[in-house]
Amino acid sequence: MITPDILYLSATELAKRIQSKSLSPVELTKAYLDRSEKLGPKFNAYARLTPDLALEQATAAEKEIGRGHYRGPLHGLPYAAKDLLATKSIPTTWGAKPYANQVFNYDATVIENLRRAGAVLLGKAAMIELAGGMNYRFASASLQGASKNPWNTSCWTCGSSSGSGVIVAAGLAAFAIGTETWGSIICPSAYCGVSGLRPTFGRVSRYGAMALAYSMDKIGPMARSAEDCAHIFAVIAGHDIKDQSTLALDKAAFTYSPSMELSAKPLRVGWLTNAWKQIDAHAERAIQSAERAVRKLFPGVRNAALPEGPFEAAAGVIMNVEGAAAFRDLIRSGKVAQLADPLGQINGYVNEQIEASDYVRALQVRGILQQKMELFFDGFDVLVAASQPLGANALDANLETDLVFPDPLGGIGNLCGLPALSVPCGFTDQNMPVGLQFVAKAGNDLAVIRAARAFQQHSDWHRKHPKIS
Amino acid sequence: MKPNGNSISRREFATRAALGAVAAATPNSLSSLRTVSNGLQLPDNAGKLSEQSRTEAESRYQAILAQYPDRFSVAQKADLRRLCFVLQPQLDALRAWPVANSDAPGLYLKPLVEREKKSNAAPNLKSAPQSAKPDEPAKPAAGEKR
Repeated sequence: MITPDILYLSATELAKRIQSKSLSPVELTKAYLDRSEKLGPKFNAYARLTPDLALEQATAAEKEIGRGHYRGPLHGLPYAAKDLLATKSIPTTWGAKPYANQVFNYDATVIENLRRAGAVLLGKAAMIELAGGMNYRFASASLQGASKNPWNTSCWTCGSSSGSGVIVAAGLAAFAIGTETWGSIICPSAYCGVSGLRPTFGRVSRYGAMALAYSMDKIGPMARSAEDCAHIFAVIAGHDIKDQSTLALDKAAFTYSPSMELSAKPLRVGWLTNAWKQIDAHAERAIQSAERAVRKLFPGVRNAALPEGPFEAAAGVIMNVEGAAAFRDLIRSGKVAQLADPLGQINGYVNEQIEASDYVRALQVRGILQQKMELFFDGFDVLVAASQPLGANALDANLETDLVFPDPLGGIGNLCGLPALSVPCGFTDQNMPVGLQFVAKAGNDLAVIRAARAFQQHSDWHRKHPKIS
Repeated sequence: MKPNGNSISRREFATRAALGAVAAATPNSLSSLRTVSNGLQLPDNAGKLSEQSRTEAESRYQAILAQYPDRFSVAQKADLRRLCFVLQPQLDALRAWPVANSDAPGLYLKPLVEREKKSNAAPNLKSAPQSAKPDEPAKPAAGEKR
């Protein structure tokens, strides 16, 4: 009998049990499927479940492990993939009505890598339509409807990896795959109280993934601990001849073992003083407590301030222009009107009008900023700040008017392709999760994993889960 | 030649030319297009923009209407016009940031992690004076993650 407590174990712990044959991948998959069928619709968590495929993969994994062929820490582990990753013969909707019947005849590289590692695809996670590529005003901007936060179903999960956040938080799978162009892994991880890694741009192949912004899209894991994220990242990272934006072989690949941290130098940590202009009063206590914990955990923490400049504007222009290009046919055909969100139905027309010279100017600003951040990281290995300045917002909030605040760290981090990892660090006084993010220089994903793992070794926020009836 | 009160910048010239071209390319005259937009409430941030920026935002809106004349409801037109104005401060901020001819675009095909690290920061960055920084642009909705 697999109890909910087992379903909430970290992927790392589940893997140990599977490897020792004390936990059956088939039984685990059935338990997650049952729970997903029962609770998934309540949270709008999935675009679709893939039970036949899941049981086939789980059965194969169990047989292999039984024969003594253990592939590694994801072997036999059920997961969900954001519904913008192509899966052969299974609909991939991109969360949007115009693509509701879209079926690819191949798997995205990430899906293929996970299959090779023996992971079990439970289903496709719900998401914001086109990952927010045409912008959106409401949480309901999705073919599946608004994803509801398992900690409080009147609150949102954040987007665009909304289903991925729910699935991990509600114990519907061992882990999920999300994507981020600007905030779409970090924010849902924070709102849902899970751990999410946004890798360095170019370390994970986007082949078979819907493109929103060609120069900013990243794919990463969302799971129950930083260590889980590291193991999943090690499987999905790597150069891919099918994706020309992936880094060279030696720079893209990632190997991980906790023992790698034993001989590592102490991390030089900076606490960011200007990541947010203001922390919401409801989240303030949790963030202050997390800051104290970070300062205690990492000796010599120094305050740090991000450079100032039009970096959010540059990131916005690049994202909007590339998004308008990626969905040019959708816009010009008028089918963009089929999107659920009123802002999404029209904003692409505005983005189409941005001049090419402004786009190139934004790229120039990015080039300057990349150099500046490279020098900035000469003094720090990791920067730390709240993942969001508040807990999850109400489901019906107008994101355009009710949640307008500067996000320089998100702008800079995504403009420069920097790795970041968000972990739970407490709760608001309304009992909604609050996240803490660790950010490092491009290529130093290990630093954010080390820092987040150290934080989790001295806290148990990541072990909390919502009470679901 | 020193600019005088009657001169217009090259960008403004281009904007005005674009506005004229939009008008010429549509069945409606420029004045009637303006009447349509004048019937809509001016976006909240319009007053904070320079005349040149207002003109540019308006021309962006008119270009959309010219390209897709029958596609939008009255409410959508009002929203489109507002969005055209909301975009403008971001573009203004970006253009005001000092960038030199030698500053190459940060293309995704060559992420910094694969490039040789420069020994110095870009010269124009070092010399970028605080006063050169533009007014803070309108912020994107941070709750709207992508």
